[in-house]
Amino acid sequence: MKVQVNRDMCEGHGKCQSAAPEIFELRDDEISYVLVDEVPAESVARVEAAIRLCPRQAISWVKEK
Amino acid sequence: MTAQPTLSLDEISTGDELMFERGEKNEAFKILRREAPVRWNPGNEEVKGWWDITKYEDVLYVSRNPERFISSEGIVMFEPRDPEMRLQAANGNGKMLITMDPPRHVMLRRLVNKGFTPRAVRAMEGHIREITRDLLDDIAPKGKCDFVIDVASQLPLAVICEMMGLEKQDWPLMFQLTNKVLGAGDPEYQTDVPEDQRGTNDAARLTGNMGTMGMFGFFAQQLEARKAHRRGDLISILVDSEIEGEKLTDEDLLWFCFLLILAGNETTRNAISGGLMTLCEHPAERARLQADMSLLPAAIEEILRWVSPVTHMARIATEDSEIRGQKIAKGDRVVMWYPSVNRDEDIFPEPERFDITRSPNDHLAFGIGEHFCLGAGFARLELRVMFEELFARLPDIQMDGPVERLRSTFIGGIKHLPVRYTPA
Repeated sequence: MKVQVNRDMCEGHGKCQSAAPEIFELRDDEISYVLVDEVPAESVARVEAAIRLCPRQAISWVKEK
Repeated sequence: MTAQPTLSLDEISTGDELMFERGEKNEAFKILRREAPVRWNPGNEEVKGWWDITKYEDVLYVSRNPERFISSEGIVMFEPRDPEMRLQAANGNGKMLITMDPPRHVMLRRLVNKGFTPRAVRAMEGHIREITRDLLDDIAPKGKCDFVIDVASQLPLAVICEMMGLEKQDWPLMFQLTNKVLGAGDPEYQTDVPEDQRGTNDAARLTGNMGTMGMFGFFAQQLEARKAHRRGDLISILVDSEIEGEKLTDEDLLWFCFLLILAGNETTRNAISGGLMTLCEHPAERARLQADMSLLPAAIEEILRWVSPVTHMARIATEDSEIRGQKIAKGDRVVMWYPSVNRDEDIFPEPERFDITRSPNDHLAFGIGEHFCLGAGFARLELRVMFEELFARLPDIQMDGPVERLRSTFIGGIKHLPVRYTPA
């Protein structure tokens, strides 16, 4: 599964990085970046938490075609 | 809150401003959550009906679907039935960030949101501390004061006015006009109406209009001054901003200023005064905090959950849907009640317990999603600096008489909070 951050929405709150530091990184431009191509199974629950907690609701799973 | 233990569902209307003024809302919401978590209120002869949404998951659902539940047809609960009154009340709809929908909302918000990021907020800490210390210097020798008027209102007012580049001599006017706009229904602010006619719907309408017109007149002058000379403040930045190659119109700019000044000074005021009041009412938690001020960030989250300064936001449904088994029709107004969701028993264990170390504490005091409070970082910083400085300077500050609440269904406001302390 792939996860994405909507850069138009992200305002750098960093909740995702706290929830899943192995997946999300807040960089110098105060935007969150996704560090992995595929989210490993052991991180899925933490990514779900990040999706739920994001104040701007900027994070979502990439829908499979 | 304890004075009315026997409220029944039939007696509760979230349209009753006096219920909020009396401080009974939490009791009422508890009953709504239990007995009618998605409830139609038919309104009355003057205003249309609305749905009360009182559960956390349902507010999440509405907030996460800004296309299905839009903001541009009004964000407050009361919608007049009379089309003429509607025009008057709705004239800001679609024109401010808070009353706008994507995609324009996203573009407009991006013009200013870099001024509100964690880094921008951190850079202001030293200055916010200076302002706070100056305010406390003024009251410290007196031994008593009105905490709202002298302290809680002054810090957020100073911060937003400075960001917008307003002269200090104009700050009291901003305070006054804010009270007229957001406290329009409260007789104390209906000073343009003869005393014996205050407290009526007409008085509220007139007061709100006077406040809005006053703001527009003031900011029209500010815009002219910025157009002649840019000053590097928020208003100057907006004057030069473009969306898709087009400058903002004067009307856009005026509504933007209107929103910034209101949102910047009314809400944090009530979080600060509500926070102090709550700590006074929970002496054990307060003692725990004052013994270890490193608990403050978590305590602030609990204050935000407990106080929930903005009581509601409304949305209009753009299609038929169903929430918790209730059929919401296209065109229906849904009202999200933040103080209620922040005490939702399904989310917060022992929600009626004020616990400064509560964790997790994913309250929705700032909303969530598309319209998440732009100034949340500043609010949290102002709260933290205020309580650090206040408890260092006046550690024994206590309530000194009854609190006076705002008569409003929209803002969980405190107008006056008398306090006393050992002069310092």
